[in-house]
Amino acid sequence: MSYVHPEYLVDTEWVAAHLSDANIRIIESDEDPLLYAIGHIPGAVQVDWFSTLQHPLRRDFLTKEQFEEVNSKLGIANDTIVVFYGDKSNWFACYALWLFQYYGHKNVKIMNGGRLKWEKENRPLVKEVPSFTKTAYHAKEADKSIRAFRDEVLQQSNAKKPLVDVRSPKEYSGEMLHMPNYPQEGATRGGHIPGAVSIPWAQAVNETDSTFKTPEELRALYEGKNIKADGEVIAYCRIGERSSLTWFVLKYLLGYPNVKNYDGSWTEWGNLVDAPIEK
Amino acid sequence: MLRPNKNNMPLLLPLKLQEIVDDFASMTREEKLETLIAYAESFPSLPEWLKEERAKMEAVPECMTPVFLFGEKQTNGGIHFYFDIPPQSPTVRGLASILANGLNGCTIEEILTVPADFYMPMNLQEAVSQQRLNGFMGVLAHMKHEAVRLIENK
Repeated sequence: MSYVHPEYLVDTEWVAAHLSDANIRIIESDEDPLLYAIGHIPGAVQVDWFSTLQHPLRRDFLTKEQFEEVNSKLGIANDTIVVFYGDKSNWFACYALWLFQYYGHKNVKIMNGGRLKWEKENRPLVKEVPSFTKTAYHAKEADKSIRAFRDEVLQQSNAKKPLVDVRSPKEYSGEMLHMPNYPQEGATRGGHIPGAVSIPWAQAVNETDSTFKTPEELRALYEGKNIKADGEVIAYCRIGERSSLTWFVLKYLLGYPNVKNYDGSWTEWGNLVDAPIEK
Repeated sequence: MLRPNKNNMPLLLPLKLQEIVDDFASMTREEKLETLIAYAESFPSLPEWLKEERAKMEAVPECMTPVFLFGEKQTNGGIHFYFDIPPQSPTVRGLASILANGLNGCTIEEILTVPADFYMPMNLQEAVSQQRLNGFMGVLAHMKHEAVRLIENK
């Protein structure tokens, strides 16, 4: 048994062999924004989940035009193969990949194991920031089939369709409202969306080298909790980054056709007036 | 030693910390980033005698950076802080390194009176997002807890 769409995954060896390919762009996306400056894969550029990808005013992502501008500056053309990697088991790499898919960039890949595996294999990290010739990039209209908004999440919950809460067990149970050092990511109510099953994201990756678990293990994990390929699945966490990893696993590694990431996640739901909550 | 800050506001920062805050306030965005990286890279490793203490530290929830710190009271009454923060978290290392440089040698009272928002004039949010600067509050709160522990141990 193999992953359903193995073309969305590359290993560190593959990346090492394609460092200077003109039609490949390697993007580092981290939780910690200084990691890139301290050392990155030769030729890689940085895309920060916050300062690069968020809308400067609203709680939303860049507009299509702003996204085009980002890609143009990074020398990414419409047919460039974009490979993402990052810290924390590729959380933010998956988040960036998801947003690239949202604006229609089809040729995207995750480097399995991310920064941790690359470092453990003592592969080179450099400080030099590459520059590329500007491209004319044309994004597609936002693909809402991979992004869930609150009204849809409410319908999903009311219809008892599959919802996956990928946060830690204490966040799911409502014991913990926010991470102690992240007061802005708090919510006024704790618990989970009614009907959501708890499958913490970390169960999909191997702790030692951040790589994804085998297809058999992944299938057993999600099907064991009744999250199956024929359902319309919505995944959420606190701000939508950990659930991007789950979204990637379900969509590409297990090949579920209908999976959405709810990026509003608990920071929206737990603050939303009148939203039903289960504890 | 305390001195008034630039605007002669009544709340005082310890001299060394005030100097660091003032330095950052006058830097460009690129300089801020470079200086923060320099602070992160000059992060000292934990001395051997604290390794056992470090091993006793409780695990932290998954999104957080595990910050270990230990305060030691010196003969002149000043506190010296020792840190252990994983190299995978350079931002938190950089922020902790600024606090260590700014507050090592200060008295318990000086440490406890540092306001939680002392870093606002540094304008660091233009280099790293506001979210990441929460690390400052987290590390400072942790240092204050240590200072309180040292009072209780008197």
